[in-house]
Amino acid sequence: MAYSSILDWIDFFKDPMDSPYYPFDTYNLAYDIGFKLWEIVGGLIAWLINLLFPGNGLSEWLMSDYVCTIFALLLFMLLIFIVAFVSCLIVLWEERKVLGRMMDRRGTMIGMKGFLQCVADGLKTFMKENTIPKKVDKMTYMWCVSLIVGLSVLVACMVPLSSRWYVVDYQTGLLIIMAFFALAPFLILVSGWAQNNKYSLIGGMRAAELMISYEVPMLILICTTALYVGSFNIGDIVYFQNEHVWFIIPQILGFITFFFCATAEAERVPFDIAEAEAELVEGWQTEYAGMKWGLIMLGDYLRGTVSCGMVVIMYLGGWTLPFIGDGPIPEIVFLLKAYLVFFLMVLVRAASARVRTDQILNIGWKVFMPLSVINLAIVIVLKMGGVFC
Amino acid sequence: MTLKYLDKYPKNLAKSLWIGKPIATVFKLFCKTVTHRSMTILYPYEKEWIPDNYRGRPGLRFDKCVACGMCVRMCPTGCIKLIEVDDDAGNRVMRPQVNVGRCAMCGYCAEYCPVDAMTVTPEYELAEYTRFDLLYGPRRLNYEGTTPGMEVHIEYSLPSDIANGNTERRVPNTIDKPELDDKKCIGCKKCAKVCPVGAVTMVEKGVNDKGKPIVRPEFDNEKCISCSNCILDCPKDALKLKEVL
Repeated sequence: MAYSSILDWIDFFKDPMDSPYYPFDTYNLAYDIGFKLWEIVGGLIAWLINLLFPGNGLSEWLMSDYVCTIFALLLFMLLIFIVAFVSCLIVLWEERKVLGRMMDRRGTMIGMKGFLQCVADGLKTFMKENTIPKKVDKMTYMWCVSLIVGLSVLVACMVPLSSRWYVVDYQTGLLIIMAFFALAPFLILVSGWAQNNKYSLIGGMRAAELMISYEVPMLILICTTALYVGSFNIGDIVYFQNEHVWFIIPQILGFITFFFCATAEAERVPFDIAEAEAELVEGWQTEYAGMKWGLIMLGDYLRGTVSCGMVVIMYLGGWTLPFIGDGPIPEIVFLLKAYLVFFLMVLVRAASARVRTDQILNIGWKVFMPLSVINLAIVIVLKMGGVFC
Repeated sequence: MTLKYLDKYPKNLAKSLWIGKPIATVFKLFCKTVTHRSMTILYPYEKEWIPDNYRGRPGLRFDKCVACGMCVRMCPTGCIKLIEVDDDAGNRVMRPQVNVGRCAMCGYCAEYCPVDAMTVTPEYELAEYTRFDLLYGPRRLNYEGTTPGMEVHIEYSLPSDIANGNTERRVPNTIDKPELDDKKCIGCKKCAKVCPVGAVTMVEKGVNDKGKPIVRPEFDNEKCISCSNCILDCPKDALKLKEVL
C-alpha cells in the first residue's frame, strides 16, 4: 500500500456536532477541544500504526466516530478537571498573597509571583509518609476522605463556567450542585467518629452543628432565586439576570446572607469551627497524614471555589457582563468574578474574628434566617409587582 | 425573641451584627499595603540598612592597640582574653582575642577602649562549623572598612562644665586620672611596670630614716589613658582614680 500522509488521518476541521454519537444537546467548547486533541493524538497514533502495518483495521477503528467520541469524552473530562484544579490553585494563591498583603507580609514567594508554592506544597505532602493510626476504623477512615475529596472534585467539575463549558446541563442544576455540596459535613461527622480521637470527634460534631445552622437559610435563598427566575437551571438564572438585572441589586440582603452562608459551607475562616486550628489541633483532619491531608486541603479550596462560583451564578450575573452579554470569553469572565468574590472572602477572613461554637447557632437562626425570609418577602413583592422581571 | 435578645445585650445589637467597620478598615489597610513595600525583608538576598555604629562582632585595629586590658575587664561575658602575638616588627605583644560564640555584641569593649583600637563592626553573619572557628584572634578581628563612626564612645557633659555654661560632650573614661595617696605608697614601682603607655615615672623624693631613697610615681596626664592598670595592680591600694565631675 502506498505511503499515506499524516494529514489523511487528522481531520482537524471536523465538527464534533456532526458525529451521530455527540453526547450533548448544544455546542460544548470543552468537548470540542477534547475532540480536536484526540484528532491530533489519535490521528498520529493511527498514522504511525498504519505506517508500520499498512492497511490494518486498527487505525481505521481508532479514527471511527464511536472511538473518537469515547476518547474525546475522556480528554473532555480531563480538561474539565484541569480547569477546575487550576482555578482552585489560583484561588489558593490568591488567598495566600492577598492575606499576606493585608498583614503587610509578602505572601508566597516561590516562582511565578508565588504561584508555584502550591506545587511545592503538593510535592511535599506527596512525599510524606502515609501513616494510619492503629486504632482508627480503617474502612470508614479511608472511605470518608475519598468521598469528601471526590465529592469536592465532582462539585467543582459540575459548576458550569459558561453556556458552552459544562458537563451536564441539568434542569435542576442549582439544586443538584447544592445537594452534593452539602453532603460533605455528614462525611466529616462520620470520619471524625471513625478516627478515635477527641479532637476529630469534636470537629465532626461541630461540622454537624455548623451545618444545621447555615443550611436552612441557604436553601431558602436558593429557592428565592429559583422563584424569581422560575427555574433551577443555571443557564436560565444567568440569562435572566443578563436580561433584567443582576440579582445583587434587588436581593442585596440575600447576597450578603448567601455570601456568609457560602463561606460557612466552604468552612472558611470566620466559620471554620470544624477544622479550628486554633483550638482543636486540626479538627477532624487531625489523624490524616501526608497526601490524604493534602487532598483534603485541596478539597477545601475546591469547595471554596465552588462557593464563589455559586455566589457569582446567583447574584453577580454568572458569565455575562452588562451591555455585552456572553462576550468572546465568558469562562474567563466567570472565573474573574469568582476570584473577586473570593477576594471578599479573604477580606472577611482578615477582618473578622472567628465565630465561637455557641454563637454559630445564634447567627444561623437569629440573623441569617430572618434576613433570608425578609429577602424572600422582598422578592415575592417584586415578583408580584412585576419589577425587574 | 428579639426583645429578649435586646434585654440580654441592650447595647450590643448593632455591634454584634455590624461587621462592616472592620472590613472597611482592613480594606483600607490592604490598599495601603499594596502600594508600599512590604515590611518583610527577603533576608539572604536583601539586607537591612545598618548604621555605622551597629553592634556586630568586635573589630580590632592591631597597630592602635596598647594592650591595656580595658576590654578584658569591661567584657560582661568574659569572652575577651589577651594573648601573645607577633606584631609587624616581630616583637611579642599582647593583643585581645574574642570568643565570638560567647560575645553578646554589647560593644562595651569598643565603648571603653581608651585608644579607639577596639571598634564595633557591622558584621553579624558569624556562623561557623566548629566552636573553635568562633575564636577570633587579633589578626582576624581586623575589619577592613573601619570608619570613625565605628569607634563608639559614651559621651556626656560634666556637671562642672554645665555649671560653667559649657556644654561640651566629653568621653568620661579618658579624663579621670589616677591619684596617689602618699602615706600608703611603698615605692614598689609596680605601677610604672604595668603602665601600657609609659605615663608613670618613678621620681626620688629624698631619703628615709634608714638612708634609702624614697621613690614615688608621677603621672604624665598627657600620656595617661585612664586604663586603671596601675590602680588595680597597686599592692597597698595607694592609688585611686580621681573622678572628674
